[in-house]
Amino acid sequence: MSFSDTRVLDDISFTVKDKEFVTLLGPSGCGKTTTLMCIAGFQTPDQGRIACGDDTFVDRDARVDLPAERRNLGIVFQSYAIWPHMTVAQNVAFPLRVRRMSKPAIRARVTEVLALVELSALADRYPHQLSGGQQQRVALARAIASSPAVLLLDEPFSNLDAKLRERARDWLKALQHTLGLTTIFVTHDQDEALSMSDRILVMNGGRILREGTPEEVYRQPRVRFVAEFLGQCNFLTGAIGTGPDGGEVLRTAEFSDGIKVQGRHDGPTGTIAVRPEDIEISSGIRPGAPGMGTEASVLHASYLGDHYHYQVAVGALQLSVHSQRPLAPGPVWLRIPPGVATFVE
Amino acid sequence: MTSMIERPAEVAAPAPARSRARRLPASAGQALVWFAVVALVVGPFFPLVYSSLRSKPIYLPGGTFTLAAYRTLFADPLFWTAVRNTVSFALGTTVLAVIGGTALAIVCARTNLPGRKAYRLLLIAPIVIPPLGLIVGWLSIYGQGGYLTQVVSKNVHLPVWNLSSIPGMSLLGAVITIPVVYLTVQAALAGTDSWMEDAARSAGAGPWRVITRVTLPMLRQAIVNCTLLIFALCLEILGIPLFLGAPSNIDFYASYLYRSWSSGANPDPAFVSAGAVLLLVVVSGLLLLRARLSGSEQRFIAAGARGGGTYRPLDLGRWRWPASIGLGAYIGITCVIPLLGLVLMSGVKALTTLEAPWHLFTAENWRLVATDPTLRRSITNSLLIAGGGGAATVLLVAAATLIAHRSGFGLRRILAPALIYPRAVPGVILGIGFFWTYLMFTPGALVRNNLWGELIALCVRNLTLAYVVIYPSLARINAEFDRAARSSGAGWWTIARRILLPILRPALLAAFVLMFITLLGDYDPVVFLQKPGTEVLGVTMLQTWQRGVVGPVAALAVVQVGIVAIVLLLGTRILGRLRRA
Repeated sequence: MSFSDTRVLDDISFTVKDKEFVTLLGPSGCGKTTTLMCIAGFQTPDQGRIACGDDTFVDRDARVDLPAERRNLGIVFQSYAIWPHMTVAQNVAFPLRVRRMSKPAIRARVTEVLALVELSALADRYPHQLSGGQQQRVALARAIASSPAVLLLDEPFSNLDAKLRERARDWLKALQHTLGLTTIFVTHDQDEALSMSDRILVMNGGRILREGTPEEVYRQPRVRFVAEFLGQCNFLTGAIGTGPDGGEVLRTAEFSDGIKVQGRHDGPTGTIAVRPEDIEISSGIRPGAPGMGTEASVLHASYLGDHYHYQVAVGALQLSVHSQRPLAPGPVWLRIPPGVATFVE
Repeated sequence: MTSMIERPAEVAAPAPARSRARRLPASAGQALVWFAVVALVVGPFFPLVYSSLRSKPIYLPGGTFTLAAYRTLFADPLFWTAVRNTVSFALGTTVLAVIGGTALAIVCARTNLPGRKAYRLLLIAPIVIPPLGLIVGWLSIYGQGGYLTQVVSKNVHLPVWNLSSIPGMSLLGAVITIPVVYLTVQAALAGTDSWMEDAARSAGAGPWRVITRVTLPMLRQAIVNCTLLIFALCLEILGIPLFLGAPSNIDFYASYLYRSWSSGANPDPAFVSAGAVLLLVVVSGLLLLRARLSGSEQRFIAAGARGGGTYRPLDLGRWRWPASIGLGAYIGITCVIPLLGLVLMSGVKALTTLEAPWHLFTAENWRLVATDPTLRRSITNSLLIAGGGGAATVLLVAAATLIAHRSGFGLRRILAPALIYPRAVPGVILGIGFFWTYLMFTPGALVRNNLWGELIALCVRNLTLAYVVIYPSLARINAEFDRAARSSGAGWWTIARRILLPILRPALLAAFVLMFITLLGDYDPVVFLQKPGTEVLGVTMLQTWQRGVVGPVAALAVVQVGIVAIVLLLGTRILGRLRRA
């Protein structure tokens, strides 16, 4: 679909399984929120079909476009959108009142849901009396109150501070697991995506670049953008040859012995991705010792609490390396073990 | 784009039964509101234009299409005199109002003037004082027979001003329109930080230079905006020439039309419609230009209070107290003294310096107001229109605003201009238009001879005020509120009723107060519609004045001002409580 001349979504296609937690991950403007809004019914794609189980939400060819209010989805918006003139209980009860449930049934369900999100004590408070984290839980409670088929979340943690975000993450995942609720989560934060998802879809420029479990997407990004977006990455380009055991190796000026690469690649040259934490770095080794690796010099070092980050120069290359231990001053040696490098496009 | 989400096999809680009564699509109600607004706003123009092109009045048989009405108009030398007078008046008023209003806004918003917080409220006063009240008050003090005029000329023997000249009327016109300029410029200032001015000051510029070189250029758009608006308002003004122009025989455009209408040998002559159509074209052109120059909807968002503008006040130095006293004197001379004069005039036989006022006290004027059926009816009719009409208009405009800005209704884009337009149309023109509408269309017979006809004309004329108050508040409501309600299953009217209107309550109340105050004092549209039995305050005051009976007019004006003051006080109190909740 397009806004004026810009193609916002370009040939997006994916399936979410029952009870699965799927994350749409990508930078701002990649189209992930637009995708979510199309599923929710607030935007309509130019072409294609969206369906949930037996219900078709959108089918452009058949001219079907179910209005948002009839799709039975629960949505948590980035701003929470808690109505300020209603109490917490009234906010949560709204979807039930719209469905004309009986008053006792509504009361029971609201109590149940507020207990789930641990806000029972605040049922009669107004939104302006709540903290950010509490407002977010009200939004979630309202979203699940009517037992929706699917839960959609649009960057719900972006307004929380870092510590609160971690707690909220674990808590939401536990809740989702307990309820068995199919969930589609949109975020630009890779930690959230990696820690919570059953499956991640990395998006950029309106397209899905990589799809898979968190381990698959992180370890085998396959696309340069994905490798760079999730964590840090080093890229080396060189000639591809065959190694002694039949696997592919990449040879560069600095690593003339060849780096063993996972997977296959067509063509004489290619690019590989290596994570900084996978490169072995050591210092103070006697020159001439076997298997010590390639010599390098440290340009810059910083300490980040749980690891050291080194910017090293190898020949014409600059690489990022993480290490748990500090290094002695002087030359260092790098070694890229077999199997950690993967091909990227 | 394809996606499939499989339905969960079991649900966390039992899905509640959904029994929704079959109801009309939201767009049915939306279409109704749309049609009502557009018909009310646009409707009167067709009969108006039509009647200006007919050789005989509409209610007489026969008649052909002709431009004779326009020719008659252009051939009348009085018409051209009126045009000249109006343009001179408009120029004078605009210049005075824009300079005065801008200066006041800058002084109150950007300097350390003592008492500026109080002045900010007081300077808006002329908007809420009923215009006729202010005019009659000025006449009683500064008019040719006014108290102060007499004191200065007869007792002190100084040369005296003439309020009934064009410069004199421009002065009064400026006093009435300065609050409009003040509000616009102040809103523009409130939305900006003062970092540019701070930068100038840190470079060594004194306050005067900062204002002329930095602040004023920043305000250029707001000033151009006001200039066109005030000029257009001046072209249609009726009260000032009718009350002040009579002794000097000065006619403005609107008073020329009114006089020709009500005292002509042939009643309802077509050339009055022709004059109305011409004025409409000119004023519309001016306001179109203004919209083009300033971006039409932005000005309404700026009209609301905006947080975030921080500034360090400019130091006026030794001018602080003189300026403050001067401002206080300005308010005293232009508002307080005339209002006092009004009260005085309502309680004396005549306001003259020959005898001290306390010798002339009389309760006769008030007795008349209490007993004379016409005068009493005027008060009750006006209250009915202001209260009932005000409430109905606020509701209609609220619904229309919601449809215009928060719905998917296909024709919604026409609503916002339609809601703004009535205020842009000169009131007398709307009045003439409605007069012809009621005559031409059979349903008009239902309202033509009773209060409903006047209520409709007055409410349509002023519905822009409700829009201008409601829209900025609506724009501030996050659109995700609507989406959250939609995803919860609510249809459009439910969202309007349960989410948007409750959040808009303070704005609705403010709109009602503004409508009430304005409807109580407005008379332009009604001068052509009033009949015995359907009198309203403004027109009764006008007609009583024209008969030379002065005292009761002052008494009625005091009643008007008093009611407005009470409603304002109540309104602000309730609003304060609503906001704190």
